[in-house]
Amino acid sequence: MKVGRRPRTTFWALVLSTFLLGSLSPIMAAEKPILLGGSLPLTGVWAETAKVIEKGYRFWVQEKNAQGGLLGRPVKLIIYDDQGKPDNAVKLAEKAITVDKVDLLLGGYPGTAARAVMPLAEKHRMVYVSMGGHMKSFQQGYTYCFGSPPLMGEWWFLAAFQWLESIPADQRPQRAAVYIMNNPVGTSLTQSINEWTKKLGIKIVIHERYNLPLPAAEPLVLKAKQKRCDLFISGGVFPDGVMTVRAAKALKYNPKVYMQGVGSIIPAWVQQLGKDGDYIVSGTSYHYKLRNRSNLELRKKVKEKLGWDVIPTYFGFAYAWLQTLAAGVEGAGSLDQTKIRDWLRSHSVETLAGTFTFDEKGLPPPFTYATQIIDGQVELIWPPEVQTHAPIYPKPPWGE
Amino acid sequence: MNFSLLLQSLISGLLMGGIYALLGVGFSLTWGVLRVINIAHASFGILAAYGAYWALTLLHVDPVLSLLPIVGLLFFMGMGIHKAIIQPITRAREIMVASMVLTFGLAIILENTMLVIWSPDPRVLTPSYAGRAILLGDIGIPMTHLVGFGLSLVGILLISLFLHKTHIGKAVQATWQEPEGAALVGIDLHRVSRIAFGLAISAAGAGGIAMAMMYAFDPAMHNLWLIFVFLVVIVGGVGSVFGTALAGLLIGIITGLCMAWVPYHWINAITFGILMIVLLIRPHGIFRTGV
Repeated sequence: MKVGRRPRTTFWALVLSTFLLGSLSPIMAAEKPILLGGSLPLTGVWAETAKVIEKGYRFWVQEKNAQGGLLGRPVKLIIYDDQGKPDNAVKLAEKAITVDKVDLLLGGYPGTAARAVMPLAEKHRMVYVSMGGHMKSFQQGYTYCFGSPPLMGEWWFLAAFQWLESIPADQRPQRAAVYIMNNPVGTSLTQSINEWTKKLGIKIVIHERYNLPLPAAEPLVLKAKQKRCDLFISGGVFPDGVMTVRAAKALKYNPKVYMQGVGSIIPAWVQQLGKDGDYIVSGTSYHYKLRNRSNLELRKKVKEKLGWDVIPTYFGFAYAWLQTLAAGVEGAGSLDQTKIRDWLRSHSVETLAGTFTFDEKGLPPPFTYATQIIDGQVELIWPPEVQTHAPIYPKPPWGE
Repeated sequence: MNFSLLLQSLISGLLMGGIYALLGVGFSLTWGVLRVINIAHASFGILAAYGAYWALTLLHVDPVLSLLPIVGLLFFMGMGIHKAIIQPITRAREIMVASMVLTFGLAIILENTMLVIWSPDPRVLTPSYAGRAILLGDIGIPMTHLVGFGLSLVGILLISLFLHKTHIGKAVQATWQEPEGAALVGIDLHRVSRIAFGLAISAAGAGGIAMAMMYAFDPAMHNLWLIFVFLVVIVGGVGSVFGTALAGLLIGIITGLCMAWVPYHWINAITFGILMIVLLIRPHGIFRTGV
């Protein structure tokens, strides 16, 4: 008898469970987290920066969940390690979309990985907010990709040139030496340098590309010195940037303006070069000293919760990318990717890096913030509304 | 032609080439004497550079002074590594291939260990004389480069003296020239090999510190350095200390001339093009004369 009753009990238990699950399903659905996934190079040479980005992502998620989540649902992150290999980043993005069935895609890093994931995002019609991989990556006709903020070589020195434009023509530098590393990041600087120097009446006397690693910088600096170039543009990364600065100091070459590419905005520049790194002008699309509402709020929160006085640049980037994605979701009131995309294309979005509207390429109007290293601090010098320190012009002699 | 630019380019090229030579000497020794192609060679250079960086920033010890204990430590580390992992593979049929695979793994382990300890952030050796230079008219020779070059000259000279004037050095030479004959006359091949490997690793360390005087470095930089190590060793002739030293200087001169006369982005193509021509004419390198 007992044996005979067990199937009946199981049957009623199943009926009851089905009924209960059915009646509770709206509550369950409300609590089902929104999955936000993708990959970052958490190991390998890009790991240090990637971990900063990961912290930015996690901080945003923590904040968002504390405020009640996105569309009333908690947000859950899935971050894979792509080891900095673009092909891994593509595979893992595919996995996140097709296997994990993420609701939203995370922006990747570095530019090579982001550039590789962009066509995949387009194929799956998933909104992809990232730094992108310079202008060419945004010129492929993608409609679901956004740079908010992007990291654009083409815009790198934009604000620096706008600052030079504000200097009376007779006091501006007259002759430029341009040395650019021969890779996509370096060559992305070329067009804007050519256009702006022409506009400002600065004659380009030397325009050379070099392959990395740069064997020696002294001949390159000597050439600029001999040709009396008072604007020196070094479009390189940290190792060649350091060599060039040291060579300029050794040869007592002191241009009125010394512009340096990506190398000079990383913390290692100030830490490793000390006083020799001072007065170098560069650019960025986010800086923790920006005084917009969003950034000031984040500085306060980061100080309270993490005890940080400074927001690392890539922490800020990550936070801004998710601010943009969330604005799209909340604006569209849905996780429908096309609705999110369309909302982002037709509205402005407030982020840490600024308030953006997007064009058909998914980019805001060209912008950067010019930086100058002054007393070992990266200061914002242009445009005037974001200025944290007046520009030092002309550059003082080495050692002063 | 602008004479001062030519001279500046030649001096810069020579200083660079001299440092490549020191980094390459040890690689040449292990390849020539032990038939071991040590892909991790430049990683030991980076490790030494980090050692010097720590000594400088934490203890305020100049890299020239910290070089001695670092090189000493690396010598014993090299001997230990040889005994633990290199010696067992000498039984392999293809020692060179086996050693390349093995040391490739070792390079990855070293790189990742350095990433954990020092992070991927680039570093620069900035001793007290870092900003100073000897100025000769328009030409400037940075002190760091000069010191790095001096280290290279002294290092190569010491290695050469060791190999030619000491009993163990002569045993290393004998092992290079005729391993079986050396064993027959009572030379302990394993011991000599351990010493040669230790010597090579310590030379890599000295070369790494000299390189760090000129260039910024990070844990992944060894891949790049290794390319130039291959270049000087192949041009100089595998196993030849003298040849490696001269090849370093020769490559420095070629690079210097390129810097003076051709667009910068052609330098690597020209330098490696010359390497190919050298190999076509002299497949064993220019100066292959033995240790």
